[in-house]
Amino acid sequence: MAVEPADVLIIGAGASGAVVAKRLAEAGFKVVCLEQGEWLNKDDYPGTRTDWELRARKEWATSPNVRGLPADYPIDDSDSPVAPLMYNAVGGSTIIFAGAWPRALPSDFRVRSLDGVADDWPISYFDLQPYFYRTDRDFGVSGLPGDPAYPPDTEDAPMPPLPIGSAGLKVARAHTKLGWHWWPEFNSINSTPYDGRRPCVQRSTCQSGCNEGAKASTDATHWPKAIALGARLVTGARVSRIETNGAGLATGATWIDREGAEHFEPARVVVLAANAIGTPRLLLLSASSRFPDGLANSSGMVGKRLMMHPFANVAGLFEEPLMSWQGQFGDLIESLEFYETDEKRGFVRGARWGMAPTGGPINAALPSRAGEQAWGPDHHLHFRTHFGHGANWGLFGEDLPDETNTVVLSKTVKDSSGIAAPEIHYHMSDNTRRMLDFHIERAKESLIEAGAFKIEVDRLMRYSGWHLLGTARMGDDPATSVLDKWNRTHDVPNLYVADGSCFVTSSGVNPTSTIVAIALRAADHMVETRFEQQVPA
Amino acid sequence: MTYTLDAGRLVVLAQIADHLIPAAHGMPSAGAVVDAGRLAFVLGARPDLREPLAAALRPELGEDPAARLAALAKDEEGNLSALQLVIVGGYYTDKGVRELIGYNGQEAIEVKSWLLPQYLEEGLIDKVLERGPVWRDPATGKRAVVANAPRTYAERFAATTPDAQPNSQGGPDGRDSA
Repeated sequence: MAVEPADVLIIGAGASGAVVAKRLAEAGFKVVCLEQGEWLNKDDYPGTRTDWELRARKEWATSPNVRGLPADYPIDDSDSPVAPLMYNAVGGSTIIFAGAWPRALPSDFRVRSLDGVADDWPISYFDLQPYFYRTDRDFGVSGLPGDPAYPPDTEDAPMPPLPIGSAGLKVARAHTKLGWHWWPEFNSINSTPYDGRRPCVQRSTCQSGCNEGAKASTDATHWPKAIALGARLVTGARVSRIETNGAGLATGATWIDREGAEHFEPARVVVLAANAIGTPRLLLLSASSRFPDGLANSSGMVGKRLMMHPFANVAGLFEEPLMSWQGQFGDLIESLEFYETDEKRGFVRGARWGMAPTGGPINAALPSRAGEQAWGPDHHLHFRTHFGHGANWGLFGEDLPDETNTVVLSKTVKDSSGIAAPEIHYHMSDNTRRMLDFHIERAKESLIEAGAFKIEVDRLMRYSGWHLLGTARMGDDPATSVLDKWNRTHDVPNLYVADGSCFVTSSGVNPTSTIVAIALRAADHMVETRFEQQVPA
Repeated sequence: MTYTLDAGRLVVLAQIADHLIPAAHGMPSAGAVVDAGRLAFVLGARPDLREPLAAALRPELGEDPAARLAALAKDEEGNLSALQLVIVGGYYTDKGVRELIGYNGQEAIEVKSWLLPQYLEEGLIDKVLERGPVWRDPATGKRAVVANAPRTYAERFAATTPDAQPNSQGGPDGRDSA
């Protein structure tokens, strides 16, 4: 018996896939989603267990290569100083993301016009502003309104801000003396009961799943609502290719279940929401005689311009205890003081600073991300100096697009279903290196002003590729871009990409808030144009 | 069945543990803490460490802990990391050690949203607002100019809709001052 095609087939149940699914289900679309991971139970998250830090380094590691769980696929990242991070489950990487929720800034969408590099986006900050309000409500955002680093808002975050902690307060006072920007961070973490979910309890284990359900992950915030509206979510479904017909339209996806059996899910429209590594991988896997270089790749831009936000960490150690193993791992405070271009600095664009908790005792005892190895009798002094006495600035540098930073298909590595794994080739530009060096020096000044007696610097963290962006960029010109400004591929009129692949430039901030606002805008447009949508016969 | 090491490797593990974390500064040595029970706990959580741990403790690497660690650091970084993690993990998940360092695990601490945050009381936000908008206007490329931008939090607060008014919080440690 033939299966009735879905109105829309979504590939990936993470942040953007969930947003699109819920919006389309609300509008009455018949939605099916294929997700290679499974549903998780927050009672199984390790944050409340004594062995939390041990499990966080393996089965709850942020790198799929370290985890190696059945839902994961390997990524050949041997030609990159930065390892890409993600999670494969219902909720996707929102299961393990920190929850920091800054928006891209207005200048981020006009990089070519303002700074003469990279490209402008076909959309602006102000196009996204109403969607930011809606996604803030849907995800549940805590924050102090009025940050002067952003244009004025007509709607405040739905919850008051989370605490900034003793470390955040100390540094906020220092920035007041320096005359530098700081602000309590916006986080998609409940500060009060909200939407049926409990408030944060400051356990700081956000990156191993939130035991409270306080952090927004789409398995809790979106999927139950989408499913109640009729969406069908198939788990354990690893998509191997998107199929097309003779007219060049997408007809659905072929997928493989856990037992290795192959299936086909027919659809009138396909939306890719598999992140900026998984999405170009699938487009490249979907090459055919009509699309010999990969689906939607007439521009040659699929898989190119991978951006991952090279990340430096600057830690200040303080004499007084700060209890800095507690607090939301989404940030305590942020600074955008040096975010905008000042050419006198020797580079263009800038970086956002976010201050997060410093981790538990095992993290303090081992050679940490900014610590020193100390064994022997001085181990205990090393430990006391580091544990609960740190304030860390994490610095995300804007990563300008470079066509030699790529996602391609591996000729040698395959996933457990026998599908070619992605292989990334990535280097950091001189502009980014100069940018991070500058920001490291300023972050040191910040922490010294706050009273740190010692500073430790990690100039580039390998396991920091949280932000996967740019590998199917949007643009007005089909010759130089994969997607139009509504996230539809130029080449295949019923194929969309809703994830961070669409980014034209990377901004210098955590991107999830912006990704989901763009995804909601695309879904709204799909609803508005549903009767003009070209679909297979 | 609980996994454990052979007797010879257990002896070497204790020696290495004492070498890395000796008794000092009022703290016990790791050799005294990381016993068979702690080892089983760590390897229960991390069965993937069994093989590299056994390799790091193999007799062929000799009896001198420093020489063993140097050899591992030179040629077997993965095995060395596993050995260090087992020792540190066993030590810092021990109840007695946690009492000595004043750590009760990652605790659930109530967010006190009814308290006024210290940073607002101290006027730190007012100082940020005093400088005016700092975002770069894409239309001009210059720092934005916003008519009637609030210069104190009281002004911003007064402009906020009642339902959305922030109502503050304490620090993550139950304190809101350092």
